[in-house]
Amino acid sequence: MPTVGSDVVIAGIGETPVGRLPGWSPVEIQAAAVLAALRDAGFALSDLDGLINLDPYATPNSMFSSTLAEHLGVAPRFACTVDVGGTVTGMTMLQQAVWAIESGYCEVAACVYGENALTGRPAGAQGLHMHNLLGGEEWEEPFGLHGMVIPYALLAQRYLDLYGATDADLAAVALVTRRHALLNDNAQMRKPMTLEDYRASRQISSPLRLLDCSLVSDGGGALVLTRIGRAPQGRGRGVAIRAIGMKTTHNSVALMPDIPELGMAAAGADAYEAAGMGPEDIQVANLHDAFTISVLVSLEALGFARPGEGGALVRSGAMDLGGRWPLNPHGGLLSQAHIGGMLHITEAVRQLRGEAGRRQVEGARRALVSGNGGIFSVCGAMILEKP
Amino acid sequence: MLDLLATSPNPTGASAPFWDACDRGELLFPKCGRCGHLFYYPRRHCPLCGDTALGWQRMSGRGTVFSHSHVHVAFQGGAWSGQLPYTVVLVDLAEGPRMLSRLIGDDASTVRGGDAVSVVFPRIGDRRYPFFQRAAAG
Ligand SMILES: [Zn+2]
Repeated sequence: MPTVGSDVVIAGIGETPVGRLPGWSPVEIQAAAVLAALRDAGFALSDLDGLINLDPYATPNSMFSSTLAEHLGVAPRFACTVDVGGTVTGMTMLQQAVWAIESGYCEVAACVYGENALTGRPAGAQGLHMHNLLGGEEWEEPFGLHGMVIPYALLAQRYLDLYGATDADLAAVALVTRRHALLNDNAQMRKPMTLEDYRASRQISSPLRLLDCSLVSDGGGALVLTRIGRAPQGRGRGVAIRAIGMKTTHNSVALMPDIPELGMAAAGADAYEAAGMGPEDIQVANLHDAFTISVLVSLEALGFARPGEGGALVRSGAMDLGGRWPLNPHGGLLSQAHIGGMLHITEAVRQLRGEAGRRQVEGARRALVSGNGGIFSVCGAMILEKP
Repeated sequence: MLDLLATSPNPTGASAPFWDACDRGELLFPKCGRCGHLFYYPRRHCPLCGDTALGWQRMSGRGTVFSHSHVHVAFQGGAWSGQLPYTVVLVDLAEGPRMLSRLIGDDASTVRGGDAVSVVFPRIGDRRYPFFQRAAAG
């Protein structure tokens, strides 16, 4: 059973504005997020001796942790770049930071990702420029499978067929995250969405419509970790990482297990077991929502809903603010911004501190953050707790 | 429909027999000589037991649709826009393994999960590709 359980806490969070940031480079965005997180934690730049990041997908770089360290003006004793996939990258950054601090490599570590995927793509480029092409050059691209929408469309069609679900189930996820984004001043999507709007949006790859898909965004998010006693703000604002569960099962969509066997269930079971908790102990559900279908699958794998009943749960209002498990109060990847899920983590911390303003979840003590990279290829579930 | 399009697979030494068989109109999957595991896609070892003594099994080319999607956007730009809409399928082959392919034919647009399909090998450029069509049409 994987355990985290140390005195290392998330002591600070930093977010840049999201949406369009013309004139900003990826390293500038990441530096701004790190500086914001250090300020939030009460640290000076010179305190930073650990740095973990992910390089930009639209313009991939090598050795991006040293690029960022130099740009920031620090010389960390521990630095690395990790690329696991989806919000699992962010969880892995946190895990690396905990291990680095516990083993004495550093005392104050920043985890960060950010880029200008919306305004900074090379001219003529479509989608994200993946150096490794997700491993699909030989067995996917010759058959017309390019990018991430088509594999999720295949997953969504299977979900509809397996459970007799409908587009209303998918739409419910888009609608609730939009309602929440309207309460977030730092969100790309600021107009209300109706079911009619959803159904009028164009088909991208059936059954997925434009409004089933997450945003392309500029922006960055960062977290600063340290031991409780080292944080200037002390015990009051540090948020504990109670458990992280992870599972990698495949990469290409042809080798994806069927929905009940996706790795999210194993990741969630590990996290719940390590924390000694279950869904009943969670008050905030920040689930990776690259596509609407991702949320339905995750809700069921993580025990919030029975198989095939995720859509009904969302339509019941349980995932709205004021409901049992508010989903992505910040608006998520679907309606706030897609910053690789880093803002799922910063939002969870904000909620647990009770600093989320008009979108604050009442009585938030524990948040579950889920992530999946590729086509549920790598799955992660992380439980954060208020001190 | 306009001419079919496919990007070259750039086979490795291990996968070349799969693509060479397609050029002959045959679907061959690797099979482990030690544990008998039949799998897709070709590798230099068996992903079940790790053994490297592999052979090839000729597949029937018959299967059923596990999932499908009608694609309406050319994610790779320009050249693919002429293919729209096209249909991507996950096919469960009669012998077991699942493969990703493309469903072609006038009746592809009405395909449903569980429908029977069979392999065809259209020539595109200098190769033939293992696409599928609905069995009723063949
Ligand atoms: Zn074997």
